[in-house]
Amino acid sequence: MNLERLPNEEKLTLCRKYYFGNVYNVCVWGFAFLPFLWLVNVVWFFKEAFVKPTYTEQLQIKTYVKCSGLGFLLWVAVLTTWITIFQHFRAEWGEVGDYLSFTIPLGIP
Amino acid sequence: MYYFYVISNARKCSITLQRRTVAPEPAAEPPSLDRSAVEREPVDLEEEEELPLKYGAKHVIMLFVPVTLCMVVVVATIKSVSFYTEKNGQQLIYTPFTEDTDTVGERLLNSVLNTIIMISVIVVMTIFLVVLYKYRCYKFIHGWLILSSLMMLFWFSFMYLGEVFKTYNLAMDYPTVAMIIWNFGVVGMICIHWKGPLQLQQAYLIAISALMALVFIKYLPEWSAWVILGAISVYDLVAVLCPKGPLRMLVETAQERNEPIFPALIYSSAMIWMVGMANPARHAEPTNQDTGSSDEEAHRSEGSALARDWVEPETQVSSGMNRSYSTEDDLDEEDRGVKLGLGDFIFYSVLVGKAAATGGDWNTTLACFVAILIGLCLTLLLLAIFKKALPALPISITFGLVFYFSTDNLVRPFMDNLAAHQFYI
Repeated sequence: MNLERLPNEEKLTLCRKYYFGNVYNVCVWGFAFLPFLWLVNVVWFFKEAFVKPTYTEQLQIKTYVKCSGLGFLLWVAVLTTWITIFQHFRAEWGEVGDYLSFTIPLGIP
Repeated sequence: MYYFYVISNARKCSITLQRRTVAPEPAAEPPSLDRSAVEREPVDLEEEEELPLKYGAKHVIMLFVPVTLCMVVVVATIKSVSFYTEKNGQQLIYTPFTEDTDTVGERLLNSVLNTIIMISVIVVMTIFLVVLYKYRCYKFIHGWLILSSLMMLFWFSFMYLGEVFKTYNLAMDYPTVAMIIWNFGVVGMICIHWKGPLQLQQAYLIAISALMALVFIKYLPEWSAWVILGAISVYDLVAVLCPKGPLRMLVETAQERNEPIFPALIYSSAMIWMVGMANPARHAEPTNQDTGSSDEEAHRSEGSALARDWVEPETQVSSGMNRSYSTEDDLDEEDRGVKLGLGDFIFYSVLVGKAAATGGDWNTTLACFVAILIGLCLTLLLLAIFKKALPALPISITFGLVFYFSTDNLVRPFMDNLAAHQFYI
């Protein structure tokens, strides 16, 4: 639909609803092991939430952006820990290490 | 033996530029705009004449960037990851004739036969798609496109990631890889088929085109690839320009129904409104500047010719198909940006990638790259002149092929000789 043809108030409301719904859906799906989705959410709506002049739904958008940001950071911490552990102890774990490995480097134990 | 079960659609790019007349101001407009509408009228005429040129230059640049990016990704991968240049006898089922023959003549014959098979597959798929579109089987098309993009986003990127890790000799574990691929794939599906930030969507389309091009480069035998490239350009030309060509029919059907012409499978640059609208305020500015003037839209509708790549990410097929635009103006606002079919990305990248893989010399690669960009420029110029759907493949591919063969066979030995004799010109 053509947003330009709508009078300003309606356009603004629609826009907000669109973003609101959008943010909501995206945020919830992030719980399905999707830190990247949360990152996209944060980056995309950062301006909307924090930079733009206040409007009604902005508070909720802010909440979602913050939640997404926290979730993303949490996942980053978890993943970094796991990767560090794996890379360090891969050789020592022997069979389990090989079983978990997707690619095994050649020439290095 | 590795069979790709997927049937792919290669997208042919056709470019359309349509000129719309000045839209009458709707009655609902607040009175303050009416006065400005009257004032805008004399300016409109001048702007109308200027617009094609202004539009053309800016949008040429907007197309150069993604095409260049795609080619850069493909060439970088080809040069670094040896997997995509190893030939171990595996071929796609669409090119059954082998090129390990004893005589040159046989090899040529086999490559021509391969091409014929490939092109017929493409033709059949295109016609099938056009028929589906004509009979409004939107769900089927949508499902097909989703399946193909699923395959692209998950399976091919998994393969790609594996090969990159092997090349750089990194250890990687299954859980991490699963997370990466899962994230990449799901966000890709969301971005492409639903809503997402425009740049991310464009990035995904470029990524998918590059992946597909890499698959082609790996699995197409040498001579067949070149013959296929040539044949596809001819097919593109025929399909888009002939009155009964499938792509042309597709374009016309979509125009009759006032729908965007297959918004899926198209790379659209900046200014789309509907799906993937990241920042409406930002997009509003360019349109505000052009208000009242004739709404020019550059449609690059591409013919969805089908070949192997079915993965063309159909960008907004659902949104595009399900919305029937009531007025022409809606279309104008939406398609203000430039669109190029993904098949074009793929075949351009295949050409440059093959040049990088087999030529082995940067001269050849760069020459092909420049040739394709020149071809693209010319095609856009023709678009501005003719203002109707045009195929984007022929000119670029022709230039690319000419440059490749001439550089490989003439320029390279020449330069090598000069360097060997330390003779600088």
